[in-house]
Amino acid sequence: MADLALSRPRIRPGTPVAALVLGAAVGAVLLVPLLLPLDQSAVALDRTTLPPSPAHPGGTDDLGRDVLHRSIYGLRVSLLVGVVAAVAAALVGGLIGGLAGLLGGWVDRILMRVIDTISALPHLLLGIFIVAMLRPGLGAVILSIGLTHWLSTARIVRSELLSLRTRPFIDAAIAGGAGRTRILTRHLLPHVLPKIALAVTLMIPHAVWHETSLSFLGLGLPPHLASLGNMINDGQRSLLAGAWWSSIVPGAVIVAVTLAIAALAGRWRDHLDPRVRAELNL
Amino acid sequence: MKNLLVIEGLGVRFRLRDATVHAVSDLDLTVRPGELLAVVGESGCGKSVLAHALLGLLPANALVTGRALLHPARPAAPGPSTQRRTLPRWSSVLPRPAGDRAESRRGSSGWSSRLSRRLRDSAEHQPEGTGAGGGGVGSGGAVDLLACGEKVLARSVRGRRIGLIPQSPATALTVVRTGRRLLAETLTAHGRDPGLAAQVAIEAGLDPADLERYPFELSGGMAQRLATALALATDPPLLIADEPTSGLDRPLVDHTLDLLRRRCDAGAAVLLITHDLAAAERVADTVAVMYASRIVEHRPAADLFRSPAHPYTQALLNALPDRDFTPLPGHPPMLTALPPGCAFAARCPRVSETCATRPSGPVACHHPLVEVPA
Amino acid sequence: MIKVIGRRLAFALPVLLATSIGMFLLGAASPMDPAKQYAGAAVFTMSEENLAQIRANWGVDDPLYVQYLRWLGNLLHGDLGWSTSRHEMVGDVIAARAGWTLLLIGITLGVVLIGSLVLGTLAAYRRGGLLDRGVRVAAYAVQSMPSFWLALAAIAVFAIGLGWFPAGGLTDVRSTGVDVADVAHHLVLPVAVLAISQAPWFLLFVRDSVAESLREDHVLAARARGLAGRTVLFGHALRTALLPFLTLVGTHLPELVGGSVLVETVFSLPGLGAVSVHAALGSDFPLLAAITLITTAVVLAANLLTDLAYTAADPRVRIDG
Repeated sequence: MADLALSRPRIRPGTPVAALVLGAAVGAVLLVPLLLPLDQSAVALDRTTLPPSPAHPGGTDDLGRDVLHRSIYGLRVSLLVGVVAAVAAALVGGLIGGLAGLLGGWVDRILMRVIDTISALPHLLLGIFIVAMLRPGLGAVILSIGLTHWLSTARIVRSELLSLRTRPFIDAAIAGGAGRTRILTRHLLPHVLPKIALAVTLMIPHAVWHETSLSFLGLGLPPHLASLGNMINDGQRSLLAGAWWSSIVPGAVIVAVTLAIAALAGRWRDHLDPRVRAELNL
Repeated sequence: MKNLLVIEGLGVRFRLRDATVHAVSDLDLTVRPGELLAVVGESGCGKSVLAHALLGLLPANALVTGRALLHPARPAAPGPSTQRRTLPRWSSVLPRPAGDRAESRRGSSGWSSRLSRRLRDSAEHQPEGTGAGGGGVGSGGAVDLLACGEKVLARSVRGRRIGLIPQSPATALTVVRTGRRLLAETLTAHGRDPGLAAQVAIEAGLDPADLERYPFELSGGMAQRLATALALATDPPLLIADEPTSGLDRPLVDHTLDLLRRRCDAGAAVLLITHDLAAAERVADTVAVMYASRIVEHRPAADLFRSPAHPYTQALLNALPDRDFTPLPGHPPMLTALPPGCAFAARCPRVSETCATRPSGPVACHHPLVEVPA
Repeated sequence: MIKVIGRRLAFALPVLLATSIGMFLLGAASPMDPAKQYAGAAVFTMSEENLAQIRANWGVDDPLYVQYLRWLGNLLHGDLGWSTSRHEMVGDVIAARAGWTLLLIGITLGVVLIGSLVLGTLAAYRRGGLLDRGVRVAAYAVQSMPSFWLALAAIAVFAIGLGWFPAGGLTDVRSTGVDVADVAHHLVLPVAVLAISQAPWFLLFVRDSVAESLREDHVLAARARGLAGRTVLFGHALRTALLPFLTLVGTHLPELVGGSVLVETVFSLPGLGAVSVHAALGSDFPLLAAITLITTAVVLAANLLTDLAYTAADPRVRIDG
C-alpha cells in the first residue's frame, strides 16, 4: 500500500480543512499534557462507561477514564512513533535506494531483488513476527515499521538517481572536473532530498496504522500506556456491551489525523511533481 | 447537387490549465455526395481535430461552436434518428424501431442493454443546449453533428453515416483482438454478415490471411490497411480519412487513394485529411488548405494546383519534390497564441501593413496571387 | 507459458529461502529460551539437568547453521515443528484453520474484484459525475480507516445496534455442527469489512486506468466505428485497462492477508489470524515461522496465477513469450 500511495494521484479533501485538523491535533498533543496532565494509572470507578457528554466529550471507558483525554495522549504516542519510524524507514530506504542508484550494475540488481522479495511478504505478519521475536515494546514496534516500510523510499531514491544520472547537468559537472563527493552533495542530494522528505511525510500515516494495528493486537506498546491501538483494544469489551464510544472515538482520531496528513502530503507531492495531463490530440 | 455535409463557422478550442488552444477557427466547408474533398496542411494545424469534432470524439475540455449539418444520403423516409426522437429516454419497454435492430441483435439481456443505453446517454462531450431527446435534428432528417448529442451520434451517425479511418492506426487497433475479430465485430454491429471480413480486407488491400494476426504483429502499412478495412466495413455515405496513406509505400498509397476515388465515383463522399499534396492532387475534386486553424484557400483541385491563389498554398506546392523542392522557411504560429491578423504574415513574401487585419473570402489573403471570385 | 512459470519459480525459491533464513536469524536473536517455553510452567520445578536434557534433545546449543539446516530439512519433510503456544503439532494447527482463512480471503477477493470493476468502470465512464466523486471521496476516507476499527464500528452498528448479524464467531453458539447458511450469516460482516477496507486501492486503480483508457486511440476508434456503448466500454476500454490490473492484484495480496489477520481477530474467527497473534504473544517461533512461510508461498503462488492469467489475456506476451 505504501508504494502505491506514493505513485498514484488521488483526490483530497480541502487543504484548509486538512491543515486545520492537523493544526488542532498537533496543538492538542502539545498543549494538553501541559494544561491537563493525565495520570496514566488513575481510575474512577464512580463514572464508568458514561456516554459522551459536555463533561466528557468522548465519554468514559469501563474504568471511568476520559476517552478523549486519553485519545490525545494516545495520539501523542502514535504520532511520535509514526514520525520516528517513518524517518527510520526513510533512512534505511534512502541508503539502500542510494546505493542501488549510485552504484548500479550488480549491486542494483541484487538490491532490487531484495526489495521485490520483501514486497512479496505480508507486512503485518512480518511485523508481528519481528515484534514477537523481540518482545513487544516501543523499540520493537519502531524496528518492525522500519524494516517493512522502507521499500517505497528506496524505489523512489533509486529511480530519481537513475534519471538524474542521465541528465546533462551531471555530465557537465563531471566534465567540469567536479569530484564524486561534490557531485553527490551539490548536484544529486538537492534533487533527492525533497523526494525523501515527501516520502517520510507520506509514510507517517502508514507507520501510525502499523503501530495501532500492532497495539490493537496486544503486540505494540505496553497495555497500561494510553495508545490509540491499546484504547481500541480495551474498548472492545465495552463496545460489545453497547458502549461504542470507547473504541470508536480513538479510531476516529486516527482517521482524522492520518487523513489530514495524507491530504497535505498529497498536495505537496502535486506541487513537487505536477502531472499535467493535457487531454489533447492535435 | 444537394449538399451532404455543411459546416458553418466551426470553432474548436481546448481549455488547458494556463492557455487556450485554438484548434479550428471559423471553418466553413461543404461536401456533396460523390465529392472527394481534401483538407491539406502541415501537421498540427488542426486537421485531425476537425475529424474528431464532426464525430463528437473530442475530450471534455473542448469547446465546440458553429454548426455541421449532415443531410441524409438519400432523402427518402425519415431516418431512424427522427423516429427515435419521440421515444422516452432509456425506454427498453417499448418496441424498438427497425433501425435499432442491428445493435440490439447481439445479446441484449435486459440488464446489459439498459446499462449500455444509460452509458451512451452519458456523453463525455455534450454540447450545451441539448435537451432530452434528439435535439439538433433539423428538418428533412438533417442532423447538426455539433448539437445532436452523444446519443444520436452513437446510435445513428458514427459508423452508419460517417466512417473514420483514424490517424496512427498502430494505436487505433485494440491490442487484444485479431483483425478478423475486430472486423467481424464491426460488421455484426452494423447488421452485416461477419463472413464478409475477408472480402472487406481484400478491398482495402489486406491479405485475408493477415486477419489472423494481432495488431502488434502487423507492420505499419498492414495496420493502416486494417484500419481502412474497418472503416469501409460499415459502408458509410461519408468517409473521413485521417492520413490514410501514412506508413504506406507508393503502390499501396495509390491503391488506397484509388479506393477512395472509386467510393466517390459510386456516389459516396470522402473527406480526406492529409499533409500529402501529391495525394490530394491525384484524387481530390476540391481542396481546402488549412493553416493555423483556418482554411486559407478552398477551391476546385484542378484550379488550385494550376494557379494557387494563397501564398501559403504556393509555398506548399513549391516544396513538392517534382516542383521547386524548396521548403518553406520558418514555423507556423502556436495555436495558443495566434496573431490577430493574417496568421501567415510572419512567413509570407507578399506581406504588407494590411496583413495586420484578418483577411476573408474563399482565399483568405489580402494579396492573392490570382483573383478568385467569391 | 513455460517461460513465465520458470521465471516465477526462479524468483519464488530464493524468496522463500531468504525469508526462512531471515526469520531463523531473528528467532535465534530472540531472547526467548525455547527449552523453557517448551517446559511451560513446569520450568519452575524442573531441575537444571532436565532442562539441559531438553536443550540437548532440541539441539538448541548446536551451531546456528546446523540448527537452520535441521529446521529446513524438517520443514521440507513436512514436519513443521511443535507449537509452544498451543501445545500441539504446528501442522495440525494450520490444517485445522487454514481453510477458514482461505475462505475469508477468497470470498473477499471475489467481492472486491467484482465490486471495484463495476463501480470503478462506471465512475470512469461518468468522470466528474456524482458517482465518480462519491466513490473517490469514500475510497479516500476508507483508506484512512484501520480495518480493525472499521470492523468494530460495523459490529457496533450492525450487530449491537441493529442486531442484523452476529458480532463474532463462525457458527451459532447453540448449534452443534457446521451449517452453511449459519456460516454465511456469520461471514457477512467480516467479508464486508475486509472487502471495504481493501476496496479503495482496487477501485481507484480501475477508475483511473479505465478513465485513461477511454481517451486512448483504440477506444475512440471503436466509438467511431459506431459500436454499442457496452461493447466499447467492456470489450475495448476495460479489456486493455485490465491488463496491468491483473498483475497488480497479485502484488496487493500481502495487504489483504494483513487485513484478514486483523479482521479475524476482531470477529474471533477460527482462522490463522487469531492463531498468529496468539503465537506472537507467546513468542511461538515454530508456529509463527510456519504461518509466515506458508502465507508467503501462497502469495507467490497467487502471483504466478495472475501472471499466467495476464499471459493468457495479452496476446503480446502470449505469443512473444
